[in-house]
Amino acid sequence: MQILEIEDLNSGYGKVDVLLDITFSMKAGQCFGIVGPNGVGKSTLLQTIAGAIKPKSGSIKLLGNEISGRNPEDIVRSGLALVPEGRQIFGGLTVMENLQLGLTGRADKKTSHQAIEHVAELFPVITTHSKQQAGLLSGGQQQQLAIARALITDPKVLLLDEPSLGLAPNIINNLFSNLKRILEAGTTLLIVEQRANLVTKFADEILILREGLIQDRLNKIDAQDENKLKKAYFGLGANE
Amino acid sequence: MIQTILNALSLGGTYALASLGLGLVFGVMRLVNFAYSELITIAAYTLVMTNQLPIMVSFLFSVVVTSLAAVLMELLIYRRLRGAAPAIMLVASFGLSKLLQQVYELCFGALPRSASIAPWMSGELKFAGVSITNASLITAILTIVLLLAMRYLLNKTSFGIQLKAASADFRTARLLGVRANHLISLAFVMSGVLAAFVGAILVVGNPQVEPMFGMNMTILALVGIVIGGISSLPGSALGGFIVGVILSLLNTWLGNGRVYSYSWLFAAVFIILLVRPGGLLSKGQEMERV
Repeated sequence: MQILEIEDLNSGYGKVDVLLDITFSMKAGQCFGIVGPNGVGKSTLLQTIAGAIKPKSGSIKLLGNEISGRNPEDIVRSGLALVPEGRQIFGGLTVMENLQLGLTGRADKKTSHQAIEHVAELFPVITTHSKQQAGLLSGGQQQQLAIARALITDPKVLLLDEPSLGLAPNIINNLFSNLKRILEAGTTLLIVEQRANLVTKFADEILILREGLIQDRLNKIDAQDENKLKKAYFGLGANE
Repeated sequence: MIQTILNALSLGGTYALASLGLGLVFGVMRLVNFAYSELITIAAYTLVMTNQLPIMVSFLFSVVVTSLAAVLMELLIYRRLRGAAPAIMLVASFGLSKLLQQVYELCFGALPRSASIAPWMSGELKFAGVSITNASLITAILTIVLLLAMRYLLNKTSFGIQLKAASADFRTARLLGVRANHLISLAFVMSGVLAAFVGAILVVGNPQVEPMFGMNMTILALVGIVIGGISSLPGSALGGFIVGVILSLLNTWLGNGRVYSYSWLFAAVFIILLVRPGGLLSKGQEMERV
């Protein structure tokens, strides 16, 4: 079953076109990685899917329902959440208040308590630092909170924008093992990541984005072949 | 001395309420709503025009009218301009303010409308050799209760958390499910309620209501949110409070030189901004409009 279908998606800022005819689809429980150099539209793609940027044209379907052009607050209630680049946690609010904000976007409010317990199992920082001001957490803890906050909205599809940004290697490993657990629990993941090798380990497919276009797609086996990945990343052709 | 302190606290509290009313709307829309002045004015006019009713009925009526005016402002003007450039929003709010002043002039005339609002307020209480006017005492109690209620609302309720989050970063708040239209409308309602309280406090002290009645308070409340930290709701309240206290103390201490109160007030504001350019409670974050 296709959970997310993107077709001929064009997006950008004002008169500037950033994404051109993006088309791909994902099945429930899959993980896709999006890699590419800076400024090619990776974050714009995630923000457009999540509703933060209105697309210029094209279709975005979540569970078969058109969500293109809808407000972000409606999209999150439909089951798609974004962990934005730079985490964007609310530093002036406590850890628990940040999570309560995530509950706002949850369609089923009755199970809020269980939801908090569930994400606390994955990210213990929620329990140990619940009353602490979120801005005082370390980078890794803030990233955990950002993912927990998105997870608490009960997403079927979770978009992550550069989750490893600014984190130490041991924190990154821990983070990605948690993402693997989230994936194994059935959540579909779409991850934008500069460090391609981090996502190739468990992504079902890697999309190479350049100049606003999907220039190449690598399956799980090809993505783990460093040569093929480099060639695709730098536009030399994956099969050369 | 006690009277001076009480006056300073009550004026500080009144400015804190006005700044909070402005700060609530600024937080969710990045809009400096100059027309807040006209919300204060309509609250005062409503009290004057319904002064034959019991004071509580008249006041509740004023709260309803002012909140309704605030919601209509948002629905008819600001919602349609939400994607516009900040300068356009600013000019629109200034234009709306001027337009409403003309409307008030047409409806109520350019000359002040006056009425005796709760004459018992001008009475005095004597306590330990100190006399305190009823108005000062009630204003001080009212503002403390309101500020505590606002503090509870902002810190202990889901709506308050959403408002604070939206004030810090509306875009991310929406990505988490905070409903923009809903939150903005509620912020305008609360802003209207606070304007009604401010209007009532002002009209008790000065029951001469004319079309620009709320202007002075609004401009100084804006100064308050700037010195408190424009992106922080507690900062807005604190900034407004500081402006009110300084103004009240200057008016008392300067005696006949009180004509220079504003000069000294702005000198103090400049000093605060030189030391803390982002405001007292600002964290220096750059915010994005809805």
